[in-house]
Amino acid sequence: MIDGLDPIIHVPKRLAAMAILANAPDVSFRFLKDHLRLSDSDLSKQMSTLEAAGYVTANKDGRGRGASTTYRMTKDGRKAYEAHCAALRALLDGLPSTG
Amino acid sequence: MVSAMESTEVRQQLLAAERGAAAPYIDYPPTPWWYFPSIGLWVAAMIGTFTWWRENAALFVGSMVILIVLEIAFVTWMRRRHGALPVPGKGTPPPEIAAVWRVYALTLSVIVLVVALGWWLGGVPVAAGLAFVLVTGGLVGYERRYARAAAAVRSRLA
Repeated sequence: MIDGLDPIIHVPKRLAAMAILANAPDVSFRFLKDHLRLSDSDLSKQMSTLEAAGYVTANKDGRGRGASTTYRMTKDGRKAYEAHCAALRALLDGLPSTG
Repeated sequence: MVSAMESTEVRQQLLAAERGAAAPYIDYPPTPWWYFPSIGLWVAAMIGTFTWWRENAALFVGSMVILIVLEIAFVTWMRRRHGALPVPGKGTPPPEIAAVWRVYALTLSVIVLVVALGWWLGGVPVAAGLAFVLVTGGLVGYERRYARAAAAVRSRLA
């Protein structure tokens, strides 16, 4: 693990999910699944990890087949995501050009 | 010191973040044909309710409430249909999309001014007619510019 990076967000699937959540007030399970190309169970697992860290909240609407889950980024999540991206950019700025 | 392997990882992470951040702006369902005239009609109806501004307060307020409820229902439907509907001020749109949004804001200001002028010169019916034509046409133009910008973002991040 590179110093300054958030180990929870560092996982590519979770980083992409956080990037989506940072750009919409709420995001549906289906949108995340389609964009990240993950199975239901894998996406649930990744989102549960972000939820447990306090980075996202989940909201369930309805029951049964018509039920839908949406996710929303928390203030802590936004801070962590922005800090993670800033750390990545700082690392890249310090790298020699690969030309 | 960052190794070559780590540098590749950093670049891949930043690209993944950029692709994810762009997704709500560029992955969207096709806009139905009725969207443009419906919004034009809604704005015209909002202006039209002012016909009853002084004559019938109950009709004026009742019409306003119905139109606002319709708007809330429409936005809720749009949000569910899109799945990650972006909202100005929440997030960072790709520069191509941000440029389209700036033109949208500018065009909207011009439309408001023209409709206000029409209202002043010709009253509510003229303002409502102008609003219908300008909003419907403006949205059609905006949709085309937005689609081109979204295609440019997709191509850049491919």
